[in-house]
Amino acid sequence: MMENVLTLKNVSYKYEGSKKMVLKNIDAAFEAGKVYTIVGKSGSGKSTLLSLISGLDVVTEGEILCGEIDLKKVNRDNYRARSIGVIFQSFNLLTNATAVQNIVLSMNISESPEKDKKAYAYNLLERMGIDQETADRKILKLSGGEQQRVGIARALAHNPQILIADEPTGNLDVETEKDILAIFTALAHEENRCVIIVTHSRRVTSIADVIYGIQDGKISVVK
Amino acid sequence: MYILKNALQNLVRNSGRNLMMGIIVFVIIISVVTALMINNTAGSVINDYKTRFSSEVTFSPNMQRMQEEARRNSTGGTIRMTPPPAMKPEELLAFGQSEYLQKAIYTAETKGNSDKLKAIDADKGGGGGIMFFRGNASGNTEAESLGQQYFHRVLTNYYEDFENGLRALEEGRFPENINECIISAELLENSGLKVGDTVTVTSVLQELGGESGDMNYTDISWELMIVGVYADITDEYNNDFMQNAYTNRRNEILTTFETIADKMVEGFFGIDITAKYYLKNPDMLDAFTAEVRAKGLSDLYDVFTDAGSYERIVAPVEGLKRISITFVIIVLVFGSIILALLASIAIRERKYEIGVLRAMGMKKMKVVLGLWSETLVITAVCLIFGLGVGMMVAQPVTNVMLKQQIDAAESAQNNNSFSPQGMMTVTSVGMGRVGGGMPGRSDAEPLKELKISLDFITIIEIIAVALFLSSLAGIIATQKIIKYEPIKILMERN
Ligand SMILES: Nc1ncnc2c1ncn2[C@@H]1O[C@H](COP(=O)(O)OP(=O)(O)OP(=O)(O)O)[C@@H](O)[C@H]1O
Ligand SMILES: [Mg+2]
Repeated sequence: MMENVLTLKNVSYKYEGSKKMVLKNIDAAFEAGKVYTIVGKSGSGKSTLLSLISGLDVVTEGEILCGEIDLKKVNRDNYRARSIGVIFQSFNLLTNATAVQNIVLSMNISESPEKDKKAYAYNLLERMGIDQETADRKILKLSGGEQQRVGIARALAHNPQILIADEPTGNLDVETEKDILAIFTALAHEENRCVIIVTHSRRVTSIADVIYGIQDGKISVVK
Repeated sequence: MYILKNALQNLVRNSGRNLMMGIIVFVIIISVVTALMINNTAGSVINDYKTRFSSEVTFSPNMQRMQEEARRNSTGGTIRMTPPPAMKPEELLAFGQSEYLQKAIYTAETKGNSDKLKAIDADKGGGGGIMFFRGNASGNTEAESLGQQYFHRVLTNYYEDFENGLRALEEGRFPENINECIISAELLENSGLKVGDTVTVTSVLQELGGESGDMNYTDISWELMIVGVYADITDEYNNDFMQNAYTNRRNEILTTFETIADKMVEGFFGIDITAKYYLKNPDMLDAFTAEVRAKGLSDLYDVFTDAGSYERIVAPVEGLKRISITFVIIVLVFGSIILALLASIAIRERKYEIGVLRAMGMKKMKVVLGLWSETLVITAVCLIFGLGVGMMVAQPVTNVMLKQQIDAAESAQNNNSFSPQGMMTVTSVGMGRVGGGMPGRSDAEPLKELKISLDFITIIEIIAVALFLSSLAGIIATQKIIKYEPIKILMERN
């Protein structure tokens, strides 16, 4: 059996100041080397679950283990900077900085050992279909799809063990989506990373090894 | 390191906002630089004058109280003024034992004759007794000295002439112990003596207040060893009027204070003691006065420093200093408020950016450090230019403001002119004398010019102000950022 990189035990969550439990007693496990997708209706709590997994928020009840360690007990800044990469539904890039600056800054925060961070960033963006001219433009001056690809590149820049993506291909054409999905699959299957994708898209779920469904705050294995 | 680099990039990215921040900081710094330079220069001028003019203490009889005293003691309608009680040497020494004094300088002087010393110009006779003046045959006034005749002044105050280069030790050393003395080379030669010889010096003290006319005298004498000899280029005589062996400066015998004071006899005069007291700080005058009163100084004496002249000279500069410090405070208070507002607006604007950085795993303190570096860079740039511009404007601003202060002081003075309290120095009715300087400087002109300069302390203060301004922004940023959770910021945005 593969080792779990992430384990959710009896996780419940409600937003501060709200009465409604968004997630109720969830148990789930994520292994290295697999692609996971999480599906569910809008407002079902998918993004909420991702924010817990990515250490941006803490559970109300239960625990999330990264390997053996409870996320509540680790420095979550370091966890976000080194262990995981997040592709946000709304990108969350520094809009005033250029694409390449966004990636270099992220590498700096993660204390990436890469010597020539700039060259590495150009290269990574190139792989995401962003040429050098585009990479030197401010995020504000990029299209939605381009921004999304910069977001993906940033999430990959520090080679995280876990990659989390919230609707990563929502703004992409079919061709680009295919390329990106191929990268995700390769990361999981060839580099033994754990890839977790929230999506509505059938094309995305088609690459999944495991599919979780969220409904009424409960999680279930669909595939 | 990347934090600083990112901060610099941010400065360029948000140039509009930073320019505004910069202008405000710049204005604050110029104002503070100018005002602080004026303030500190004025401060050092004031301190200089304070120590020069108002630290020397003067004891002076209060005429009004003396008259009252005389009236009270008068019998049968005649008012007879008596001099204020003399200050005894013991008292003068006791007054000098005070923690408020930076120093007390005592000098002693008496008259003497010697067995082995052969005075120069001895043929002109001695002096130092009671003087008579009378016209001589050729119509000139001639001074004649009656009573005891002396050929030598015996002094302790020999430092000044040596410091001024009018006298220089030729051989031996200065007197250090009791019963040691030095004399001029001429006197030594005239007497056929050499360094190391001992001479006997005698004098006579007279009883105080012998009203009956039959006064009591007491003889005193010293065995003084000549421990040094000096070359003397002072004028032999201070005037043409009384020239005799006693007034000839070559005949002076210089010894220690203890040597002379040792021979004092209570109730007798003939030895003059002078004390000069210097306060550590003119503000200690009241405390010192209380102390000397407790030690027995008569109410008939006023204790004061020459504060009048000092105030007249320094008043305009003090006005300038007050204005400048008020200005600094106002600028700093208002400037800080504006900057604080600006900083908190800026932070709110950049909330999203902070959320993104935090989501990427940047630690709170590093985010703060980044924002702080930005304001630090802005302030540093403003500091450099502000110092330059401030240095250029400080002098003209000072000139205009000082002129106004002088005009104001002058018109105030015309209405309320300063008159020094009825003053008189007490000379040796008794044996003591206090305070050499008569406060005769009351015609002192106010300072008309103030040369502004930038000293080290001012630079340090300005840097402190700049650091304070930039830290203010930093502190506000820290407060907000510590409260922010990245997920909340990002969700608000979405
Ligand atoms: N800050 C908040 N405070 C209170 N309730 C919130 C907050 N943010 C989200 N919710 C609620 O939590 C539930 C889950 O939201 P979430 O964003 O996780 O949904 P989602 O599954 O990602 O939806 P979508 O597919 O539209 O992105 C929703 O009902 C939403 O209204
Ligand atoms: Mg969502």
